Amino acid sequence: MSEKRRAEEAGLGPWFEAGRAEAPAPSGDWLARMEAMALEEQPAAPMPEVADLAARPRRGPRLHDLIPALGGWPAVAGLAAACAAGVWLGAVTPAGLSGWTSGTTSLTASDSYTTFEPASGFDVAMLGY
Amino acid sequence: MPYDAMSDSSDEDLLAAYAAGEPAAARALTLRLGPKAFGVAMRMLKDRAEAEDVAQEALLRLWRAAPGWRTGEAKVSTWLYRVVSNLCIDRIRKARGGHVDLDAVAEPPDPARSVEQELQETARGAALQAALDRLPERQKQAVILRHLEGLANPEIAEIMDIGVRAVESLTARGRKALEGLLGARRAELGYDDE
Repeated sequence: MSEKRRAEEAGLGPWFEAGRAEAPAPSGDWLARMEAMALEEQPAAPMPEVADLAARPRRGPRLHDLIPALGGWPAVAGLAAACAAGVWLGAVTPAGLSGWTSGTTSLTASDSYTTFEPASGFDVAMLGY
Repeated sequence: MPYDAMSDSSDEDLLAAYAAGEPAAARALTLRLGPKAFGVAMRMLKDRAEAEDVAQEALLRLWRAAPGWRTGEAKVSTWLYRVVSNLCIDRIRKARGGHVDLDAVAEPPDPARSVEQELQETARGAALQAALDRLPERQKQAVILRHLEGLANPEIAEIMDIGVRAVESLTARGRKALEGLLGARRAELGYDDE
């Protein structure tokens, strides 16, 4: 208690002390009802913001996660070019290759085995042919 | 935030947590402010059921004000004391059946019992309450807030919507009246032996 308040109370000090000591207290039942009311009136917790949802970790890897694993954009560009070239060679046979490809498609029983066999002669020798 | 961690939080922080949907804040604020609201109402109205009603109404208004509460504008406890005090004054005026200047008119004496007779039957705290009930309402309100709730004069001025000098005047007049009412009972209640 401040000195000012003590000086104000002077002779009434003991009476006020008794009054403070016998402060009216609410019942436990009333406090329980007030707590229930407080919870009932309480606003619901806010839903997470869109930014929060975006910040959440995703379950699987996305394309931009795979690019570094493949060696970066230059490597991906090379893979894409090779893929496109393969498709082009398969769909539109260039004139320079048409003789070779037509030869492979018209093999006869007398043609050499190694004409179209991709394995090298060394590989064949190792296999005992 | 767990309930235990809230014991050191300010009322304002707790109210913000309440508005954010934190259940522990609801419990902490109820236990902190509920007894204060009830205590003042009980001293003003002298009726437990009425005091509970007033304190409940004040708390309900606080919960509904929480989402729009602007931090730094007012202390939560000051705001609550003000609502409780105004509700008590309203009830007292209605009970009297009209508008009166509560500061100018003292309680009429009970013809059946004198102050001395009442005080003979009561202990010290109850004797003080009996004497407080004899004061004009505004004096009683100021004395309760100053000397029983322990508030500073500027906060009481805000609660009662008057100036600090007016608070000092009300409490001084209230104390003088109390000395007159209680002085004669000092010996009977044992104060002269201390």
